[in-house]
Amino acid sequence: MAINKQHAIDPDKCTACTICVTACPVTAATRKFRGPKMTGPALTRLRKLVSDDDPMLDYCSNCKTCDLVCPSGVPISTLNMIAKNEYYKTHPRKSKADDMLAHSEKMGKLITSLPLGSTFANMGMSIGKAFNVMGAMGIAQSAKMPAYASESFISKFKKIKQNPYLRKVVFFSGCYINYNQPEVGVDLVKVYQKNKIEVAIDENFVCCGSPMVAGGYIDDARVNAAKNAALLKSWVDRGYDIVTACTSCGLMLKQEYQELFDFAGMAEYAAHMYDSIEYLAKLNDAGEFDTNFVNDNTKYIYHAPCHLKVQAIGRPSMELLPLIPGIDIEEADAGCCGISGSYGFKADKHEIAMKVGSKLFNRIKNSHAELGVCECGTCRLQMENGSGVKAIHPLTVLRKAYGL
Amino acid sequence: MLKTTVVVIGGGATGVGILRDLSMRGVDAILVERDDLGYWTSSRFHGLLHSGGRYAVKDKEAAKECIQENTILRRIGRHCVEATESLFVRAPEDSEEFEQEWVKSCGECGISAIPISMDEAFKLEPNLSRKLLSAYRCPGAAIDGFRLLWQTVASANKYGGKAMTYKEVTAIETENGTVVGVKIRDKWTGVEDKIACDFVISAAGSFAGEVAHMAGLTVNVKPSKGTLIAFNHRICNRVVHRLHKSSDADIFVPHGSITILGTTSIDSAPDDTSTETAEVKAMLEIGKITFEEIYDYRILRVFAGTRPLYSADPNAKGRSASRGFVALDHAHDGIKHFMSVCGGKFTTYRLMAEKVCNIVCEQLGVNEKCHTAEENLVDDPSPELMNRAKAVFPSYGAELASSRLGNEKLERVIKHIETDPEMKELVCECENVTLAEIDEIAAEPTSHTVSDVRRRTRLGMGTCQGTFCAYRSVGAINKENMPWAKDSVDLLKDFLETRWKGIRPVLWGNMLRDIELTRAIYDAALNLSGVEDIK
Ligand SMILES: Cc1cc2nc3c(=O)[nH]c(=O)nc-3n(C[C@H](O)[C@H](O)[C@H](O)COP(=O)(O)OP(=O)(O)OC[C@H]3O[C@@H](n4cnc5c(N)ncnc54)[C@H](O)[C@@H]3O)c2cc1C
Ligand code: SF4
Ligand code: SF4
Ligand code: SF4
Repeated sequence: MAINKQHAIDPDKCTACTICVTACPVTAATRKFRGPKMTGPALTRLRKLVSDDDPMLDYCSNCKTCDLVCPSGVPISTLNMIAKNEYYKTHPRKSKADDMLAHSEKMGKLITSLPLGSTFANMGMSIGKAFNVMGAMGIAQSAKMPAYASESFISKFKKIKQNPYLRKVVFFSGCYINYNQPEVGVDLVKVYQKNKIEVAIDENFVCCGSPMVAGGYIDDARVNAAKNAALLKSWVDRGYDIVTACTSCGLMLKQEYQELFDFAGMAEYAAHMYDSIEYLAKLNDAGEFDTNFVNDNTKYIYHAPCHLKVQAIGRPSMELLPLIPGIDIEEADAGCCGISGSYGFKADKHEIAMKVGSKLFNRIKNSHAELGVCECGTCRLQMENGSGVKAIHPLTVLRKAYGL
Repeated sequence: MLKTTVVVIGGGATGVGILRDLSMRGVDAILVERDDLGYWTSSRFHGLLHSGGRYAVKDKEAAKECIQENTILRRIGRHCVEATESLFVRAPEDSEEFEQEWVKSCGECGISAIPISMDEAFKLEPNLSRKLLSAYRCPGAAIDGFRLLWQTVASANKYGGKAMTYKEVTAIETENGTVVGVKIRDKWTGVEDKIACDFVISAAGSFAGEVAHMAGLTVNVKPSKGTLIAFNHRICNRVVHRLHKSSDADIFVPHGSITILGTTSIDSAPDDTSTETAEVKAMLEIGKITFEEIYDYRILRVFAGTRPLYSADPNAKGRSASRGFVALDHAHDGIKHFMSVCGGKFTTYRLMAEKVCNIVCEQLGVNEKCHTAEENLVDDPSPELMNRAKAVFPSYGAELASSRLGNEKLERVIKHIETDPEMKELVCECENVTLAEIDEIAAEPTSHTVSDVRRRTRLGMGTCQGTFCAYRSVGAINKENMPWAKDSVDLLKDFLETRWKGIRPVLWGNMLRDIELTRAIYDAALNLSGVEDIK
């Protein structure tokens, strides 16, 4: 397997300082997990020597908090994901949910292609829950699953009339926006048009592969990565910048591909990749961001997703949203929400996920905010699930402030 | 005063091999070692179970002995041997004629050397330099020195053989030109004692000259120092040799969790285990031909051992046995029942012992033949025991602990964790060593320092080189019944100092960052350097 040697399998940089262990939200939530230092660099050395049962690997949620704090630049979570992938080549999976959650795009495609598919699917989830079908599949009984939209983003996008502008971006929507929350994609197009940006999409993009990697299906992710990387490179060659509105997709395309795989052109396109709000914040720095907002007197609380933090791009949402007149927004600064993509949906991990997120949930509840704000779709779901407060994408806030 | 038939001086490979051989033939024997088992050359070596390939062209006799003993040790010592196989690879700077001669010689010596395509070689060992030209698979392997010594002694114990550590032989006593006993002194207590015996075999390795001197004799040992570099992880999964005329720094041996590159050869004093940065740099330059990215790999430490080379003294009589080693019967020098054995290889330790014991037994009138090739050093753990081990050890721990401990201790350790689950906590996270193992080994009568515990458990041998496990293990060792463990400060200092000795010459890159952390913990937080004033 052509794993990128430079980044991936080298445990040499770790000084065993244990800082990552103190920061890992899962280690704090359960004694069953020995933490990033062990599962990552320490055991990487031993895995080259002996093979053994390694139930620990399943506990890492790939939230990447460890990578963020490591003073030695060890790609800890990637070491974990590679080990997990290797492990499941020779060990049976414990849960049937793994496959389904890792291949969310397959589900999305299937459901939205059927007439009324989403209605039945969403119903199915609640009916299924009543009969414990989900439980049998290894999905947590009390986890609120993402609902499917009746029309995909791609289909909605085609109906939007855009003005042509010189500044052009290609929008990698990702599965969650395409199948579950297409309105966020529409928000992006509206907000970008307002800022004189033309938005393109590419129907040949496939799922970024983030849930596949987290589920231990790196080989499947590699196929997707090869496809996406080539497409992204060709868009950049044509003068486009790339934006994502899901921080996990963004991280995956920009950084994790390079840690895991070795395809040509990745560094080139990665230099032109932006989170959707980061891109606008860049315009703002250049004095080109449109600030003709209407008043918004809502009280918001913003949660920065782990996969945004690890991109080291600051908090672009906390730069832009406060520009809206009347707005009351504060940052939660309460760590990981616990969901980590698909992790929190798994029956044996749900409790851990809720425990990890409890600090955030309490913070949201005590803030008396009317709405939560967050770039990541599954984080928003978890915020709602844990605190009862609805959460929206910052693009949605901007669109409303533009009166669009 | 103790009494036995044969006293063996030296607890390296040679000595323990002789102890086991004699014991299995029913000869009463005691081995006396001045330090810990394997403290000198038998742990400061490359850890390669030779296939013989390295010697095939130059010394066919030695090559044949190697492949014969390699086959035997893979069987009887399987818990000490990692049967990795080896690759011989030729680089552009190596001669093609030599390759042809080598292939022919391997055939003549009965060493299998299977040619493979470079594509296949790169698949097997992805880190190999893409400039290499040809590759052969041979039956080389890695062998764990400490483990082999302890298991050989365990096997001898079953037949009544005894080994004493930290007992130095200070005199060899003779009466009428015949050996009658040795004087010994306990290294820790200074207490002196005597062992009466009929025969003394000196297997003191590089120190053979000094031991012979005690009896007023001369044995010309010319120790030759070799330096070895330990890398933090397995760069390769097979032993990798350069296919050329044997030379410096041309072998990589994957060893447990690490890789060892070696070696060099310079005349030295028997106890010279010093290493220098210049040597390391020169070795890396050569190693780079085999593994291009060698400078990216983190070096854990360097160490050195001395080969007990016998310098052929034209006047010495009674030289016998193989070309690789000498067994000198000092009857020719005027002292009966005293032999010195030196030279040879770790790989052929069993064969050397067999040859020496044949001579000794003949003189003692013992007719029993050698059985050492027929019986395994230790029994395999039963599947039940391994299942229990898997249930209590953390992942990757059961197999490692089982081969480190041997059955009896493994069972005790398992029981300990079963009754007190806290004991499964890891003291050394780098090498996966549990509290229960530390407890077990520390309580052994042969343990006197944390380093003794380290040699038997691999505690502190991983990435952090003791940074975290030093204070943990010192804290964990049950001080109550162990007089040696009373002074925590001394234990810490001694342990860290031995670790640092190997790190100083390679203090750069990731290791330097690691050591800064160690300094922060021990010097800043624990004030280990300042504590003397307080004491
Ligand atoms: C750098 C290097 C790499 C090597 N690599 C390999 C390899 O890969 N494969 C291989 O097969 N061989 C290898 N060898 C050779 C092999 O290591 C040695 O031949 C072998 O270990 C020698 O064992 P020994 O028992 O003779 O000596 P030692 O292990 O040195 O044992 C002698 C013992 O005698 C004790 N002693 C001395 N004086 C007294 C006294 N007065 N009282 C009590 N005890 C005393 C010492 O404390 C010592 O422990 C290597 C050697 C070197 C130096
Ligand atoms: S990725 Fe997150 S859960 Fe996994 S080890 Fe790192 S911090 Fe812990
Ligand atoms: S992975 Fe990084 S943070 Fe964790 S112990 Fe190693 S050096 Fe420290
Ligand atoms: S991470 Fe992004 S593309 Fe990828 S599954 Fe989420 S939504 Fe799909």
